[in-house]
Amino acid sequence: MDGISTAFHILTSSPAVFAAIGGVAWGIIGGALPGISPSIALALLLPFTYGMDPITAIVLLGATYVGAEYGGSIPAILINTPGTNAAAATVVDGYYMHREGRGGEALGISLQSGVVGGLFGLIFLIVFTEPLSRVALAFNFPAYFALGILGLSVIVSLSNGSLIKGLMAATLGLMIATIGTDPLSGVTRFTFGEPELLTGIEYVIVMVGVFAMSELMMTANSPDWGKTDGRQTRIKLPGFRKWRKLWRAQAIGSGVGIFEGVMPGAGGSIAAFMSYNEAKRWSPEPEKFGKGSEEGIAAPEAANNAVACTALVPVLSFGIPGSNSAAILMGGMLIHGLTPGPMLFQKEPEFVYGLFGGLAVANISQLMLGILMMTPALWLVNRPKPYLMAAIFALVFSGIYSIHNSTYDLYLVLLFGVVGYLLRVFGFPFLPLVLGLVLGYLVEANYRRSLELTAGDHRIFWETPISLGLLSLAAVFVIGSAIRDIVLARRAARAVAEGKSA
Amino acid sequence: MGLEFGRIARGAILSAGLAFGVAGAASAQDYPHDTVTLVTHSSAGGGTDVFLREMVGFLGKAMGANFVVENVTGGSGANAMAKLATSPADGSIFYGTTPTYINTSLLSNPEYDFTDLEGVVNVFMDPQIVFVKADSPYQSLTDLIEAAKADPTAVPFGVTTPGSLDRQVMEQFKAVTGVTSPVITHDGGGELLISVLNGTVAVAIGEIQELGPQIEAGEIRLLASYTEDRLPRFPDLPTAREQGVDLVVNKFRGIAGPRGIPQDVKDLWAAGIARVLEDPDFKAWYEAQSLVPTLMPAAEYEAFLNTFAEDQKAFLIQYGILKQ
Repeated sequence: MDGISTAFHILTSSPAVFAAIGGVAWGIIGGALPGISPSIALALLLPFTYGMDPITAIVLLGATYVGAEYGGSIPAILINTPGTNAAAATVVDGYYMHREGRGGEALGISLQSGVVGGLFGLIFLIVFTEPLSRVALAFNFPAYFALGILGLSVIVSLSNGSLIKGLMAATLGLMIATIGTDPLSGVTRFTFGEPELLTGIEYVIVMVGVFAMSELMMTANSPDWGKTDGRQTRIKLPGFRKWRKLWRAQAIGSGVGIFEGVMPGAGGSIAAFMSYNEAKRWSPEPEKFGKGSEEGIAAPEAANNAVACTALVPVLSFGIPGSNSAAILMGGMLIHGLTPGPMLFQKEPEFVYGLFGGLAVANISQLMLGILMMTPALWLVNRPKPYLMAAIFALVFSGIYSIHNSTYDLYLVLLFGVVGYLLRVFGFPFLPLVLGLVLGYLVEANYRRSLELTAGDHRIFWETPISLGLLSLAAVFVIGSAIRDIVLARRAARAVAEGKSA
Repeated sequence: MGLEFGRIARGAILSAGLAFGVAGAASAQDYPHDTVTLVTHSSAGGGTDVFLREMVGFLGKAMGANFVVENVTGGSGANAMAKLATSPADGSIFYGTTPTYINTSLLSNPEYDFTDLEGVVNVFMDPQIVFVKADSPYQSLTDLIEAAKADPTAVPFGVTTPGSLDRQVMEQFKAVTGVTSPVITHDGGGELLISVLNGTVAVAIGEIQELGPQIEAGEIRLLASYTEDRLPRFPDLPTAREQGVDLVVNKFRGIAGPRGIPQDVKDLWAAGIARVLEDPDFKAWYEAQSLVPTLMPAAEYEAFLNTFAEDQKAFLIQYGILKQ
């Protein structure tokens, strides 16, 4: 109670409220621009905070992080381009809905789910920082490995019917993940002497190439090129009746996001994919996923906003940033003479309460700003297709260029555009590829580190309780899906046979 | 958008620099330029960035010029080196050095590398500290070495990344002591700290700046410093040498510039840094960070950097990270 009044006092007596609102607005814009990841949006803002008081500065940065996680879903839904890594899972159903003319509805679901996820994450951050920080500590190498395997097990249900094609796409993703510097020995792999490839290929380049560039190629092929079609031009928030259908997905998304956000190195994209899959598993209409499911937007968007809040747990309790964005936020705290870590709560309680209060304002104002900003965004994407496609092309190129100021990345994004085009033509699903890409490093590095610890003894994976639990879960998922597929196939075969005999 | 923001940001930093410059105009020396850019590859808030920004306030006073810090990030220093190498060697632009730029030069084979730059002056050594979890059974390096000799896999050593300085130090430690424990690499200092705190690795190496909060909270215990002398802030912490491990690590923080900087500019820097290091306010800051002032004028610094690079190269080749 004391904390709430402190937070309220700080917020009303400093410009922190305006910082929260301004931060969210900038975050949404930054997140919506492909190539401006949440961490770049934060980094661009950092120099402006030098002259501010510490609370205003950190609230501004925290609010930007919150806004950017939501902003990433806007281009995902409207132009098939994930604005941030964590929005990749939103692309599938979001863009499908937009093509059906329900873009405004999809944006509304994303916005509302983001706010729900963010508020849940914030409550957990405020109430359970201490116990959550123990979760972060409990995860060692074998546990991270098992977490990655659990994530990969999702491929079985994300393959849209053809498991073989799904596995091939996932393998391609895993192969791309091996490019760069070996995580253990430091030798370079598959870099072909190109210095640009030493740190690996940025996930966003692959995602934008596979989703957006290939979409441009497909559209250029399509016969209705040049026509605009009547589509929703206003954002539409889900009403109470629809929300009753979404709450399950939002709860799953928030839960997964809270959990993943806490762990350094796991992060938003893994949370988004895992929650997408869980929402599908527990949905009354799993067949709709991939074909414009509303729950398929609600779960990942709730998850990545929850991550934006609980990612602060390791920063506040250990002084360890769990993601690039959290690292910049922590840099901001250091610049203002605040030392994040175990002593922060005791030494600067006012700062901590002010930050929590500011994040609450940020999450709530996100709803308002989202509504204000979506209608112009919808208007923009309803311009005639040739203009729109040219603008997307320019946007994607400038965004990708801004990551490293490198033209090399532009060739890469074109290359992955061709890869995406071929995948589409031959009917391969995209999500397993993206999943393999974002999980490859986590799985490989932690598998090998575990074995370094034991001098090659694999028993560590079942002697570590968390690892055993997660691996068993993954096995249950894979076997369960396989059995279900076999049963369904038999039933279908029987139905066909009966149809013939009748 | 990004470009626009960058320009505004630079403007804001520039005006901050101007303010410092005006304050320092009273003791103006004849520095050949009004505005001097200090480039760092570190992003805002990173180690070198904080060090340079702290120092420029005092440098303005001591050298009579405006100092501006510019973050040229990307490529682990490759972009910053390229910027320096293609800038005029007239004393208007410099680079804040750490071992990273030599490492990157050796590992990534960038278009411009450390040989395109020359050392101007060294300012600090950043002490490398051996630490364990607070409830670890090891009270000294001797305990650690004994336990590791009895059962090497029971005492895993943690390091940040494969080609990092602390990995090199750990491998040297193994060579000096004859221990064969596994050296476990991580993705960075944060992950390493978690590994120490949850007991995955038994021991690691870090710097006071990043370990400060954990030391204060009593979560970790320091075993040794790889320095010549004990640190003033930790008088009870013995050096590795005192514990029979003959190892001193020189993680340097200094200034380099494009090759061909005139001698008089180098002299002005050596004099300026000497004054800055004696400033009581700056001293209070760097002592709190446990940075060890280590002034090296240009000729000495250049020789030091070359030796450092040769040692580093030998290490990278020996462990297969770099092909001959």
